[in-house]
Amino acid sequence: MNAPRSAVIVGGNRTPFVKAGGAYAEASNLDLLTAALDGLAARFGLAGRQLDEVAGGAVLKHSADFNLTREAVLGSALAPTTPAVDLQQACGTGLETVIYLHNKISLGQAEVGIGAGVDSASDAPIVVTNRLRRAILAANRAKTVPTRLAALSAIRPAHLMPVAPQVVEPRTGLSMGEHQAATTKRWGITRQAQDELALASHQHLAAAWASGFFDDLVTGYLGVTRDGLLRADTSREKLAALKPVFGGVDGTMTAGNSTALTDGAATVLLAEEGWASANGLPRLARIVDAQVAAVDHTAGDDLLLAPAHAVARLLARQGMSLGDFEFYELHEAFASTVLATMAAWESAAYCRESLGLPDALGSIDRDRLNVNGSSLAAGHPFAATGGRIVASLAKQLHAHGSGARGLVSICAAGGQGVVAILEAV
Amino acid sequence: MEIRELAAMPAMGPLFARALVPSLRRGPARVPEHAVRVAGLSQDRARLADYDRVCGFAIRDEVPPTWLHVLTFPLHVALLSDPSSSVRLAGVVHVSNRMRLHRPVTAAERLDATVHIEGLRPHQRGALFDLVGEIRVGDELVWDGVSTYLAPGAVVPGEPVEVPKPEFTVSDPIAQWRLPADLGKQYRRVSGDPNPIHTTVIAAKAFGFARPIIHGMWTHARLLAGFEARLPHTYEVEVSFTKPILLPGKVGAWWRPDGVNWAAAATTPDGSKPYLVMAVRS
Repeated sequence: MNAPRSAVIVGGNRTPFVKAGGAYAEASNLDLLTAALDGLAARFGLAGRQLDEVAGGAVLKHSADFNLTREAVLGSALAPTTPAVDLQQACGTGLETVIYLHNKISLGQAEVGIGAGVDSASDAPIVVTNRLRRAILAANRAKTVPTRLAALSAIRPAHLMPVAPQVVEPRTGLSMGEHQAATTKRWGITRQAQDELALASHQHLAAAWASGFFDDLVTGYLGVTRDGLLRADTSREKLAALKPVFGGVDGTMTAGNSTALTDGAATVLLAEEGWASANGLPRLARIVDAQVAAVDHTAGDDLLLAPAHAVARLLARQGMSLGDFEFYELHEAFASTVLATMAAWESAAYCRESLGLPDALGSIDRDRLNVNGSSLAAGHPFAATGGRIVASLAKQLHAHGSGARGLVSICAAGGQGVVAILEAV
Repeated sequence: MEIRELAAMPAMGPLFARALVPSLRRGPARVPEHAVRVAGLSQDRARLADYDRVCGFAIRDEVPPTWLHVLTFPLHVALLSDPSSSVRLAGVVHVSNRMRLHRPVTAAERLDATVHIEGLRPHQRGALFDLVGEIRVGDELVWDGVSTYLAPGAVVPGEPVEVPKPEFTVSDPIAQWRLPADLGKQYRRVSGDPNPIHTTVIAAKAFGFARPIIHGMWTHARLLAGFEARLPHTYEVEVSFTKPILLPGKVGAWWRPDGVNWAAAATTPDGSKPYLVMAVRS
């Protein structure tokens, strides 16, 4: 039998994240991902080197970008003989690419690779209406001129309007914010608690930038050197003055405690532990285990609470409890998502009835939560969020000391959630 | 009962024109006593795909039961435009509908469809009657349905029968539909139902609606499509149409298991008032 193999996180690189329509307005997913890969290659001396695989993805994806990650590799400093694969699991994409490579490395199918994600809400694909598309496809299939003309004659002026990407859950017709507003109400999450979490996110991210934490995690792009959504000077008062955007006039969710549409790309370099040592590369953290779960929001379940389920299964498999971590990274899709997830773990009734546990999973120490800021302050370019979190947490754990453990939890559209445990090497 | 065989499904345009002319006959209401039947009906897969898209069903080989209702609808119109009928389709209100899928039916199957009218009975606002449809493949009954209509102002002797109110509980909607202004035209294209109250403001106003209203059978189909993956292979579905939906409009919807059965409704966006109440029984 082969010696046990362990995949480690070597490091990461991302672009600064900026608000959609801002400094990256002209950059495509391909541009952003290529820039993030080049920054990673520069940081770890990968220029011209052939890696075993790059896994990447985007949520808002053009049909022309069917091979987005491979095209980004071809445009990057990596050897053009580096293969690539596109993955997609909505906002779980970035973490899934890391898990995918971790698994390949652990099985001996790869020695070194990159997990990556990118999203440009500025360069979102605009498509034609279904009616126009069907008429054109029917005309293409037609073998005679009259049938082709007949197919085209079905086109009406209204069919010529372009269609922006759907921001709603296809099976419920509700936007993610509307779904989360229902969850917020159901769990009694207050406006004040949400604003406090948003404030902490900005304060933590600002402190991390000020301390130089991101110096070896971020490479500037298009003149931007820092996350553009960060408001270091925001306050309780400023957040409290914002009007609700979801949940009606009595809603508690605002632009301040919900993530903004963001552009950015993030990458994570993974390698077999021995390979990393032999190549003189850092070994920050191992991925201990990972888990994905889904809830049935088409039957009324809370859309973004699948990570609560995934964490319960992951802890059970590892024989761990919720308190066994030095750091927690709960993706801040909305402040109330983080708060509702924690409330679910604290609820004996929910843990018994929905998670099949004998009792409440427990609470987490808020001082260990999102210590370097999260999506509310950094922004949330959907597929890039996983890479941002994994690289930052690996660095944080490594600095804390060998054996330190961290929990990553990311919710995703479609009622899904992906979670992982990292441990400092 | 006399069964009149038709060579093919009647075209609905001319029939409908007749069915829209109000009856001037006085005296007790009369409905045809014969049944109409079309045998060997083949299903148009392109139209079925269009129907599935407009109503939200996945395109499958097995057809939705509401599609089978749509296939029988020209026979409803044929009966209500027959000279022996004093009741015309103009102004009748689709009150409730019940159908049972006896076994899954595929789009490849040739169908024999029969419809007759029964149960003409007095109602406080006129008369109720049932359009009873059956679909067979060979000798096997695969689908049957009962559409209950109210003919306002029609006279039938006897004590008016009470129509029981459907059970409805206020719930938070699970889903929200945005109905576009041209939905009536889209459903007309796939159902063949040319009733102009669904497509033009003038016709809608003539019947007392501020704007066109969506076909009740679209709402029925759309709601069923919301949880079609959870439904058993065979079932009975009953709906009550409690309030028309004006176009364009926003509608809430929910469904939940009720033992081995399902309860569902299309409602106002806040879930407080029903447009359609549905029960599905295994």
